[in-house]
Amino acid sequence: MANVKEKKLHKQHTKLKNGISYVVLILLSLIWLCPFVMIVLQSFRSYKTELGGMVDYLIPKQFSLDSYAYLFSPDCKFFKWYLNTFIIAFFVAIGQTCMVLMVSFALSRSRFKGRDLWMRICLILGMFPGFLTMICLYFLLKNFGLTQAGAVPGLILVGIASSGMGYYVCKGFFDTIPMTLDEAARIDGASRARIFFTMIVPLSKPIIIYTALTAFMAPWCDYIFASYISFGYTDSYNVAVALYNWVYTADYQGFFTRFCAGGVLVAVPVTVLFMALQKYYVEGVTGGAVKG
Amino acid sequence: MGKIKNVFSTIGLTFVKGDWMTKVSYIIMGFGPLIRGYVLRGVAFLLMEIFFIVYMVKMGGFYLSKLPTLGTEETHMDPATFVTVYGDNSFMILLFGILSIMVIVAFVVVWYGNIKENKAEEERKAAGKPVPTLKEEVNRIIEDKFHVTLLSLPTLGIFVFMVLPIIFMICVAFTNYDYNHQPPTHLFSWVGLENFGKLFSFGGKGFGHTFVSVLIWTLVWAFFATFLNYFLGMGLAILINRKGVKFKKVWRTIFVMTIAIPQFVSLLYVSKLFAADGLINSYLLKWGWISQALPFWTDPTWARVTIILINLWIGIPYLMLITTGILMNIPEDLYESARIDGANGFQMFRYITLPYMLFVTGPYLLTQFTGNINNFNVIYLLSQGKPKTMDLTGGAGGTDLLVTWLYSLTVNDSNYSMAAVLGIMVFVVIAIISLVVYNMLPSVKDEGGFQ
Amino acid sequence: MKRKALSIMLACTMAATLAVGCGSSTSTDSSSSSTDSSSASTETAEAADTAANTADSTEAPADFDYGSGNITLWVADNVVDFTKAQAEQFIADKGVDYTITVEPVGEGSAAGNMITDVEGGADLYGFAQDQTSRLVSAGALQPLTGTGFDTWVSDNNDTGAVGAATVGGTVYAFPMTSDNGYFLYYDSSVVTDPSTLEGIVEQCEAAGKNFYFQIDSGWYNTAFFFGTGCTLEYATDDDGNFTGATIDYASDKGVIALQEMIELASSSSYQSGSAIDSATNIGAIVDGTWDAEAAKSVFGDNYACAKLPTFTGTDGNTYQLSGFGGFKLLGVKPQTEGGKLRLCLELAQYLTNAEVQLARFNEVGWGPSNIEAQQDPGVVSDIALAALAQQLAFTIPQGQYPGDYWTLSEAMGGDIISGNIASDADSCMSYLENFQSQCEALVQ
Repeated sequence: MANVKEKKLHKQHTKLKNGISYVVLILLSLIWLCPFVMIVLQSFRSYKTELGGMVDYLIPKQFSLDSYAYLFSPDCKFFKWYLNTFIIAFFVAIGQTCMVLMVSFALSRSRFKGRDLWMRICLILGMFPGFLTMICLYFLLKNFGLTQAGAVPGLILVGIASSGMGYYVCKGFFDTIPMTLDEAARIDGASRARIFFTMIVPLSKPIIIYTALTAFMAPWCDYIFASYISFGYTDSYNVAVALYNWVYTADYQGFFTRFCAGGVLVAVPVTVLFMALQKYYVEGVTGGAVKG
Repeated sequence: MGKIKNVFSTIGLTFVKGDWMTKVSYIIMGFGPLIRGYVLRGVAFLLMEIFFIVYMVKMGGFYLSKLPTLGTEETHMDPATFVTVYGDNSFMILLFGILSIMVIVAFVVVWYGNIKENKAEEERKAAGKPVPTLKEEVNRIIEDKFHVTLLSLPTLGIFVFMVLPIIFMICVAFTNYDYNHQPPTHLFSWVGLENFGKLFSFGGKGFGHTFVSVLIWTLVWAFFATFLNYFLGMGLAILINRKGVKFKKVWRTIFVMTIAIPQFVSLLYVSKLFAADGLINSYLLKWGWISQALPFWTDPTWARVTIILINLWIGIPYLMLITTGILMNIPEDLYESARIDGANGFQMFRYITLPYMLFVTGPYLLTQFTGNINNFNVIYLLSQGKPKTMDLTGGAGGTDLLVTWLYSLTVNDSNYSMAAVLGIMVFVVIAIISLVVYNMLPSVKDEGGFQ
Repeated sequence: MKRKALSIMLACTMAATLAVGCGSSTSTDSSSSSTDSSSASTETAEAADTAANTADSTEAPADFDYGSGNITLWVADNVVDFTKAQAEQFIADKGVDYTITVEPVGEGSAAGNMITDVEGGADLYGFAQDQTSRLVSAGALQPLTGTGFDTWVSDNNDTGAVGAATVGGTVYAFPMTSDNGYFLYYDSSVVTDPSTLEGIVEQCEAAGKNFYFQIDSGWYNTAFFFGTGCTLEYATDDDGNFTGATIDYASDKGVIALQEMIELASSSSYQSGSAIDSATNIGAIVDGTWDAEAAKSVFGDNYACAKLPTFTGTDGNTYQLSGFGGFKLLGVKPQTEGGKLRLCLELAQYLTNAEVQLARFNEVGWGPSNIEAQQDPGVVSDIALAALAQQLAFTIPQGQYPGDYWTLSEAMGGDIISGNIASDADSCMSYLENFQSQCEALVQ
């Protein structure tokens, strides 16, 4: 009897605890979702009746698609900027993945003179703040004609060139693939190149997707460097540069709702892609964290 | 030391002992291999030498010769036509001067490789081994030397786009490249350690006081941004992992959204949200909860706390993802035996979960900490270093980190030399922390640890 | 003296080359010409008369070869279409083989970008005058001395505008507008009497509306300091270097101004800002003509403008808020080809002449700097420009200030708003002493 009562009490106790958990989770979810909901709401504010500036109320008095319509009107190069960003993101994702795979495979599967030195140099280089090199990179790219009018290929080049340094996560993953597999294959006469393409790459699908996904997402946020090398040429802007200007340059009056609309259009596909590939992403970050 | 001796003795002995082809190869690279039938290698060496000579004649030599002065001929206006005649460009001289030095170093290494190649070929010949066929050469590229093939392109990229700019900026720290010395109109020149003196001078115009104060805030920020996120993220993961909680995937997805949405959209918006005339203050005022706007961005202390709190919004989802995976790896029997011993939830967290987590994620925490020292986006998008104050020099503001300060020095003040000095200091700080902490990490001290 | 002689000499040689009608003649070494000026000036004294005549005219010889290519312009977003149409018109009339590219780069970013990379910058660009000295020292502005365009600029624009385009005696740019000053926009349903600062603040507080005044800016805070009679001036040489400073902020007058700002910032209705677009719940805002359209749409029927108010200082006296009268200018990047340089100068002249300034006013409401255009009935009757004109009686034409002055002022504003300065006279005085000494230290 007493036992049953205790069990009941215990049950009530867990129920209470679960209840609290749900309340906390719901509260936190609200906080986390709030800004997004707000951005979406603002983006639907009517430009004609409520203008596009900042306001001190949340819910638009009148909903409309004015801001979205503006983005695709001939006055605005939003589509061009969007395309630029997509092109950059696409090629950087491919290039960066290749670079990272190459470096990781070499470091994980070969022991050679200078290997430790190579890794140590990367570690040290990573300790310098990247912004320091911005002006230097700008003039370097300018010499190849890859700034301003040529900023899109320039950004792709910079995105790919030194990406070999980000090999940690991927190499860590390769290290977990047993060397005995390689050895067996080598006994069968497979070359290293073949092992790389036919064995390691297929086994590393999650980490490849993770690398490509993070590489793809980065250019959508790149404001600083992109604005540095595309200045004065609106045709070379990416979405981040253009939208940032709308908010922080006094020339653009009433562009706040348009900024929100643009933000939504940027966020939606990236979010969908991210959600679809979330599983791989989790695997990547967890692996990276554990391996350091 | 021994190594260097070795290199020189190889160079010397190979020359003395080598045949005539080897000797010619000391001047015409790849000559030996070409004559001996190692066509691919010979051509490669020869091409590299030609490239080197062409580069040095066309560009390198000119920039190298100007490197000690960084240029002498000022830009001026032709008084007859009012047309501007550009003189020396100190920036380009420094940049390509460094590149030339790098090319020379690379050339010397290749040249040494060329000598060793000759030596090896002679040895092969002496041992009676045949010249490798084309197939064997290709095989070498994708087999024995596959790592070289794989690493060559990434290494080239890293050297040109990472090493070169970093060496360049380190050099800039020893010049007077600033507002008054901007190429192409003006020249800048070497000034030795003057800029470092400025950074550590504590009176009047000196940067010393500001540097210390910004550095302290940078460290405080990195500490909170790392550990607060870490523990709260872990807490959230534990909460979602609780047995009774349903729809685990939905909860996780909600939080993970913040990772997917570009920060420049979400953070810019949040920054406006907290402004003195932003939505939050407006509503609080409307509802009569406050009579005066809360100084989220205008008061230094408020601004710092606000930034740390908003950063939780960014950081917790990452940590939740990471810790979820690791938490599931903790052996269940550890908890089981603890429960039998009568431990409560907190005790189990304190004595099992936490040590395990810290052990496994130690190196990650370290990289997070150093990453946060360089965390530009959050500060820049939220507060841009504001509020500014006369207490700090060099245009630094109350929430400026070393990196954001460095950025505003270059963009607003064109003070590249001081920014470069700051950049070096950031490197020094991170290097010291990394070295000290890394050796203290449990997973480094005791590799067996939890197994 | 040396400079003057040099410029006369420049004028002569320019005239000579123009007369020959050639773009790239033999280049004389500038270092040798600047070393000995006295002999040069005597040698060319005779030619000076004829040269002066020629240099006054900005007409090119009939058979002048402009070459061909592309001219890039950077202007604010809302005048891109206007500028493009005008510039293309000019090129068509001229019949030269040039294409025109106009990009929307705001005045602030234009200056920053020009300084980062002069060679990659636009050939012509609009900028606000606070950047003039910075642009000169970065070598981003073609001096107009001797080209004849400098006299054209000083003959056709108001004195303030000419001063804004001049650094150390050399004219560097073409004034575009004379309206870069600020005054009060207000909602007439909230503020009924805009004549005193205290009144405005009180009425905004009562209505729960915001009063915007960007005191954390070196441009807006002079309204207070100049209002109480303080001085802030820098002297420059021809290269844009600062050679002297006259500042008396650390005085009783300065303290009154600072105390007034501290009091203003403590009001619950006070907000820092000067852009209608990012302001919310506006009762009144101190802003310039560039926001006139936005203000009209925000305030609707209650749209009203006035000169800046007066305030009662801590000493009991009444002071009129003053401030800078500022200007927007069009600059030409130094060119390496004679033909293109000439065309750029002519285009800049065209884009800033009376007709185009007037057309620009009608299009986007920018107040002209051209004396002739200023007389136009449309300009005279514009409500925002009228308020500005009223305010101009109290303002001081903006000279050249070092970049760090703006940084320091922003820091001072930050301290005021965050409540970092106690409002008693002693703390204010010691704060201002520090501020002044740092401002003075900016002189090399």
